[in-house]
Amino acid sequence: MTCITRLAALLACVALVSTAARAQEPAQPSPADWQRMHQMGLAHKTAWDLYQTLKKTARGGQTSPPFAQLPDWSGLWTSGGGGSLFGRAPGGVMPKLTPNTAAVLKKGAELLAQGISYDENLSECGPPGYPRWLAIPFLREFIVRPEQTWLSSETVNNVRRVYTDGRDHPSPADAFPLYYGDSIGFWEGQKLVIHTNQLMARSMGRNQPDQSEQMETVEIWEKVDPRTIKADVWIYDPALYTEPWYMQRRYTQVANADKVLRMNYWHCGENPNNDVYKTPEGNTQYNDFTFTTDDNRTREQGK
Amino acid sequence: MSKVTVLAIACAAALLIAPVASAHHSGTMFDETKEVTLDGVVKEFQYTNPHSWLLVDVAGADGKVTTWGFEAEGPTTLMQMKVRRSDFAPGTKLKITGHPMKDGRPAASWTKAIRADGMEFYPRGRNPEGN
Repeated sequence: MTCITRLAALLACVALVSTAARAQEPAQPSPADWQRMHQMGLAHKTAWDLYQTLKKTARGGQTSPPFAQLPDWSGLWTSGGGGSLFGRAPGGVMPKLTPNTAAVLKKGAELLAQGISYDENLSECGPPGYPRWLAIPFLREFIVRPEQTWLSSETVNNVRRVYTDGRDHPSPADAFPLYYGDSIGFWEGQKLVIHTNQLMARSMGRNQPDQSEQMETVEIWEKVDPRTIKADVWIYDPALYTEPWYMQRRYTQVANADKVLRMNYWHCGENPNNDVYKTPEGNTQYNDFTFTTDDNRTREQGK
Repeated sequence: MSKVTVLAIACAAALLIAPVASAHHSGTMFDETKEVTLDGVVKEFQYTNPHSWLLVDVAGADGKVTTWGFEAEGPTTLMQMKVRRSDFAPGTKLKITGHPMKDGRPAASWTKAIRADGMEFYPRGRNPEGN
């Protein structure tokens, strides 16, 4: 593939994605508002420092508040878009990436332009993990209780538990890497402020870089209208960024008037027709189907 | 950082946050530039996570029957697209459309179905071309 062809493919890719993003039309902060939130991250050396500042501003915040004071986040929700871990922010600001992250993303985009992608996590029935969890599709439920909040998604039955009973993170001696990390938080009125650490070093998805165990984040969750919950997210990970990055995600309530839609147990391996493997060139391919004797493995082996 | 690098990063990043076609795997096995439409009879509707499969028996010109698999999203996505399991009971006659596998096996990513009673279904939603 020539440089011009590669560039054309990348431009086509960007155009396609832009079209998808326009169709989704997620509300985003204005460039000035985004910059103000981004500066909050830049003003703090670590996510823990930012979290402590937010806590101080909230005069310590509320832990285990009475149930009646908590917001109603009931219902089914789905990702409403917005924000990006590595893409442009409102105003055109790009994150400051480490050289390795930039190289991995460039290579990933080139592979994708060739139709090559494989998911080291989901294709092998593993969890998407956090912070990728912020962007995955399909249904979500947010269970709010005084002592903890569950941020759940139907994909592989994942649940992020956010402890709001005043407990601290486990001590370093008791800490170990987790797919969704360890999250503690406090309430400031109707806003839930979260600090997450103990994250696992792993792939962030198809043709994406690896996050590191040094990643820590701060989130502020708030219901901004009856059908929208927004999450302000600051991500600190020296393996990905040379300075912290801010993004805003939105979650939209799913229409379910007849209450037929429900979150059900998600067994990734329940249907063998969904089994895939990684080809030698790094692409995704189905294993043999149950409904045909046309064996792809045999084809690959030239038999 | 070169312009190509910036574009590449923007593209990869945007794809990370764009709605993905599947939870379990990418759709690179299917040829999105091609479309196949077949007349057949439902053999089985595997209404499963992370992807569903509608199995359809298709009779060839020589009378030989081939079972095709049409892949779609899982149950909760299909329900939001108004594709319920009971809509495709075994024996249902239909005309079904999808993007075929690149490797030639009898499978496709399902985009549209018209039952013999005229009811239309779009498991991935209608696109601007009405398909």
